[in-house]
Amino acid sequence: MALTGQATQATEVAAAPRAVSPRHFVRLKLRIMGNSFRGQVWRVVLFSFGILFGLIYATAGFFAAAAAGLAGNTDAAFLVAAAGGGVVALSWTLLPLLFFGVDETIDPSRFALLPLPRRTLVVGLLTAALIGVPAAATLIATAGLVLSAGALGGAGAAVVQALGVLLGLVFCVAVSRAVTSAFANLLRSRRTRDLAAVLLAVSAALIGPLQIAINRASTNTDWRRFLPLSEVIGWTPFGAPYTAGFEAAAGHWLAALAKLALVVAAIAVLLWWWSRTIETAMVGTASLGPAARQGTPGAPVDQLFPRILRWARRDRFGAILAREVRYWWRDARRRSNLITFAVAALFVSAMVNFGEAIWGTEAGEPARDVAASPLTFTLSMIFVGTLAAVTLANQFGFDGSAYANDIIAGVPGRTQIAARAAAFTVYVLPLVVLIAVIIGVLVGEPTWIPMALGTLVGTFGCGLAANSMLSVIGAYALPETSNPFALNTGAGMARGLLSILSMVIGVVLAVPLLLGALFAGDVWLWVALPVGLAYGAGAAWLGSVIVGDVLDRRMPELLLTITPRR
Amino acid sequence: MLRGLAKSFDGKVAVGGVDLDVPAGSFYGLLGPNGAGKTTTLSMAVGLLRPDHGQAWVLGHDVWRDPIQAKRLFGVLPDGVRLFDRLSGAELLAYHGLLRGMDPAVVDQRARELLDVLALADAGNTLVVDYSAGMKKKIGLACALLHAPRLLVLDEPFEAVDPVAAALIRDILQRYVAGGGTVIFSSHVMAVVERLCTHVAILADGVIKRVGTLAEVTGERSLEDVFVEVVGGRTATGEELAWL
Ligand SMILES: Nc1ncnc2c1ncn2[C@@H]1O[C@H](COP(=O)(O)OP(=O)(O)OP(=O)(O)O)[C@@H](O)[C@H]1O
Ligand SMILES: [Mg+2]
Repeated sequence: MALTGQATQATEVAAAPRAVSPRHFVRLKLRIMGNSFRGQVWRVVLFSFGILFGLIYATAGFFAAAAAGLAGNTDAAFLVAAAGGGVVALSWTLLPLLFFGVDETIDPSRFALLPLPRRTLVVGLLTAALIGVPAAATLIATAGLVLSAGALGGAGAAVVQALGVLLGLVFCVAVSRAVTSAFANLLRSRRTRDLAAVLLAVSAALIGPLQIAINRASTNTDWRRFLPLSEVIGWTPFGAPYTAGFEAAAGHWLAALAKLALVVAAIAVLLWWWSRTIETAMVGTASLGPAARQGTPGAPVDQLFPRILRWARRDRFGAILAREVRYWWRDARRRSNLITFAVAALFVSAMVNFGEAIWGTEAGEPARDVAASPLTFTLSMIFVGTLAAVTLANQFGFDGSAYANDIIAGVPGRTQIAARAAAFTVYVLPLVVLIAVIIGVLVGEPTWIPMALGTLVGTFGCGLAANSMLSVIGAYALPETSNPFALNTGAGMARGLLSILSMVIGVVLAVPLLLGALFAGDVWLWVALPVGLAYGAGAAWLGSVIVGDVLDRRMPELLLTITPRR
Repeated sequence: MLRGLAKSFDGKVAVGGVDLDVPAGSFYGLLGPNGAGKTTTLSMAVGLLRPDHGQAWVLGHDVWRDPIQAKRLFGVLPDGVRLFDRLSGAELLAYHGLLRGMDPAVVDQRARELLDVLALADAGNTLVVDYSAGMKKKIGLACALLHAPRLLVLDEPFEAVDPVAAALIRDILQRYVAGGGTVIFSSHVMAVVERLCTHVAILADGVIKRVGTLAEVTGERSLEDVFVEVVGGRTATGEELAWL
């Protein structure tokens, strides 16, 4: 394979070593991508879908970015550049953590044994990371800004903006790598519990100020009120590369230069940070699990069952349940999924409900503290419920080849599915109750909490059914690396599509609950809880029966799709 | 017990029709060069890999038609398959025991005994991921033995284990066969196969080349000679690698 070719190239000719340049990394990546498509039709199909979607988004983005400048509206163009560019850069930072993972076609730890200087390695990896559909789509979309800046400020501004767009792309890729890699290190470390607590606390703490800020903003609905904000964004590395050209167009050449310099500095810092985390990942932490626990020599069976599962039956169902509960915490990949779900759910449901405050209030009217409607509230709860279940969309992929042990033992499909769903529920249920209470209190409608719970549990149950099915028929292998966000080539697309598909199915299944919220009136506030509980439990049970039977017929095939090819 | 098992991957034939009768109470060695198809054959025999053609029976139960009954009868040590390695040794054994539908008290007692015998009790609460390669083999073997199966299917059980552990495993397996159990295992260690086995089969390029009792296959010569003759291939280097 190309990897070994690289190895000999670097080691064999010790007398006159040829320098390894980023070109080698690019070739390596292209070669591995090419090989991974061999004989895998569905991968090619997914990849083509990815390109198609990328092109659609890129074109839409391009015209949106170019429009304001071509129309000659300076303020609007600046706003689009700052906000749009900022959103793009922020997406690069956050989305890999939440939905898409990072494409680890080239796994940094594979280079641990090669005598490569750190600089060469990082620059090479970064260059290789620039190849891909998301990067290309980002480049095309943001290129619209060049047109916009050029229309406003002539060729000079266009050149500055072109530079900015290129630097912006490098920044986006670098930030996504650095953040996932640092997060991965944190999640691997033994302080994850603290990390989770901190993240939750920070996001909860952010909700307060956010609420106030939005209330302020909502007293004034003119879009120009966002201009000062976009000025600020323009001076962060997220917005700077995209607004530099507009500073030039306005004649502030010094500011333009300063912004470009700011981005370059930010990239340098990110790359330094990234190389540090890669290095610790490559050497130190060989152990993938948490530290060996002390003591508790009790009977083996009692050791298997965590304290919260003391009540569980000591049989097949109980065994899988206990193992899964342990795994959701001990496996860094699963743990990271759990934590990101918790943070995202809290954040998104808060945003949706407070977002209502902006768009729902008339200009000039004294803003109520918060204006949330039962409908948006229900919608946000449906979102959280389905998002929770999406974590299970590739539940067998987490196991990899270890799933063979369950096949050999002849575990019936229904037991397998039901026990896994139950184990996940052990974690999600408390979280979901917490979210319902927090949001209900923050919105100022504590009486909505039972309804929120009913909706959450109902949608979560539907989501369990839908995602169990997807996890059996749409599973894919995860690479055996220490980075919990790593994905194989093309799997990012698969994962994204799978998440979206499962959310759509989950929402469709939850439609009865939405109808209840819409038409049942005030009664719904009270019947929602029992109805939701029954609906969710019924859906989950029915799902485990149907999916279990499908699983019984597909076990070896499933094993083959989730076994990573080394 | 295996009839015409065949499997190809993407048009490349990995196993092309293997017939193998493993008599009850026999100690069966499956030999073959790297890539011969041993792992593939054994995976098909235990229900991990769906064969393109052919059938596999265990004591009268079809592995693919009647998996629940068949799987109850055998214990498997697969190769290249991870264990649920984020459990400690004791937890892993408990998991496997309960998965086999055993009584918790029996699981506890047998798990303790196996850990002691295989010298894994010292590892305490270390997770199986952090075990050494040989320790992983041993805990895998313990998992296969736990429910006292009638048939053991072991893929390279002697790989990576130290001489003391290897002797121990040999002893365990011999006692198991003497007690009426059946063992089929693949191995590259000729000395072990010669010492233990009642029957051997040599597999190369996905087909059986030699099969029979140990005496029938080897005749007067050593097993290694027969193996090299059947398989072909070079055993010495010529001019190449002079720079090494
Ligand atoms: N999942 C797979 N996809 C494609 N080809 C495979 C797969 N698994 C095995 N093969 C091919 O099947 C053939 C037999 O492999 P197998 O693992 O059964 O050999 P083996 O006899 O166990 O070798 P070893 O002694 O090295 O363990 C090999 O040529 C291998 O390349
Ligand atoms: Mg093998």
